[in-house]
Amino acid sequence: MIDTIASFLLPLIESGWLSLLDYLAAHVLLCLLPAFVIAGYISAMIPKEVITRYLGPRAPRYISYPAAAIGGFVLAVCSCTILPLFAGIWKRGAGLGVAVTFLFVGPAVNILAIAYTGAAIGMDIAIARIVLSIVFGIGIGLIMAGLFRKEETDRAAKMADSGLFDQQVSLKPALWIVFLLLIAILLVGTLKVNLLTTTWIALHLPVEIPASLSTLLAGLNLTAQGALLILMLILTAPAAYLGLENVLIRFNRWTYVSILLMAFTLLLAAPAMSEGSLVIGIAGRFVGELILLLVTGIVAVHSFERQELANWMWETWKFIKQIFPLLVLGVFLAGVIKSIIPGTLIQNLTGQNTLWANLIAVLFGVFMYFPTLVEVPIARMFLELGMNRGPLLAYLLADPALSVQSILVTSKILGRRKTIAYVSLVTIFSTLAGYIFGLVLTIL
Amino acid sequence: MLKIKVLGVGCANCKKVEEVTRQALTYMSLQAEIIKVTDHAEIMNYSILSTPGLVINEKLVCSGRIPSQTELTTWMADAEMEAE
Repeated sequence: MIDTIASFLLPLIESGWLSLLDYLAAHVLLCLLPAFVIAGYISAMIPKEVITRYLGPRAPRYISYPAAAIGGFVLAVCSCTILPLFAGIWKRGAGLGVAVTFLFVGPAVNILAIAYTGAAIGMDIAIARIVLSIVFGIGIGLIMAGLFRKEETDRAAKMADSGLFDQQVSLKPALWIVFLLLIAILLVGTLKVNLLTTTWIALHLPVEIPASLSTLLAGLNLTAQGALLILMLILTAPAAYLGLENVLIRFNRWTYVSILLMAFTLLLAAPAMSEGSLVIGIAGRFVGELILLLVTGIVAVHSFERQELANWMWETWKFIKQIFPLLVLGVFLAGVIKSIIPGTLIQNLTGQNTLWANLIAVLFGVFMYFPTLVEVPIARMFLELGMNRGPLLAYLLADPALSVQSILVTSKILGRRKTIAYVSLVTIFSTLAGYIFGLVLTIL
Repeated sequence: MLKIKVLGVGCANCKKVEEVTRQALTYMSLQAEIIKVTDHAEIMNYSILSTPGLVINEKLVCSGRIPSQTELTTWMADAEMEAE
């Protein structure tokens, strides 16, 4: 009997493991690690006033709505922060429409979502997610504002001006320079452009991998680079914990160690390496990352005070702690589930880009709750099982906005009527957006 | 005795604010009553955009970020002086 259980479980675990490996592949790490650092940077360094000053009741609609949509990039770096921010913005005086636009667009345009969707599924989906979210988000916001206009005018009259939307803020130029450098690190690590990918020098490693080790690696489906990266992650985690958990109080030597380990991981991920060989391709990507990392380090240390740097590291670490473990678990489970769900079921329901298929994808997003960012590996799993890219986009648009949990919280903030209106609008528009995307793909 | 309120619904930053506040209190050898405010409506009373928020003797001193020990000790010293 143990045999049968084992033979049932092993393929499942193998499926999960393979998914995990794919996920921990160099190109995903190259994107996620910088994305977490950027998220921490935005959260710690860029004050929300940069965007909120454009969201007030006095701002003209052609400014406040786009600001709410695109500002989501600066306001919320992770879908987890969107609901509380939405509550704050609305209650402090922004119009319902403006706040709702932010609520819908936020999960699509925050840096973590963009980076991960792009790396794990594809830039086409990531960009489509952003563009269609913004367009339909502004639409949903305008409709909500129109539907509840009377209530909103009453509410605005009752509210004394909170002063939230009048705050000016001036930012030092170094802030934007470091920000651009960080984005450059992300782009240089992930763009598939000839300048970055053509190998300039091919280095042959002067070491021999013992035969037993290489068979072990091959059996586990790992390249030497992949194995090293996983090793780096395992080393970096405790170093980061020791060095960053109390970084707000003091820096200790583990702080420096963990930063160096992370930079080294990025550099390790940059060169190209093929399975079974010992040839490292030094391409533009490696050189670029090396230069950028050095420059960013120097500029950052030169321009920011210790407390600011500490805040930055704390915010980065906070996001890593909160999201990464769940993500790893989510990817593994998606891999396991993938081998259980029959591909034919997915193909029958959502293989074609029909309105019905898009609606099913949206409804699935509503009823299944996944922690932030986990909807991406789940979406990837559906893609591999045969879901059409149209319904896939519909799912990605609807899932962060419409889990049972987020509906409950939204209802506590907005009340039942407005929540019902919002949920209906999101369902309709997500279905439409996915359908249109699917159509556009067939034309291109 | 200082009356301190930590505004937040339990996120990592809110817990951190409580932690650094307690450290500052120990450093200053001050007594304080720390109340955790987790009710959304009550938090909104204090005009903050994003949690966490820190209120000392009913005065909002910090919101949306984690204050440094220097800031905390200054605010606490100010609050003690004003209370006399």
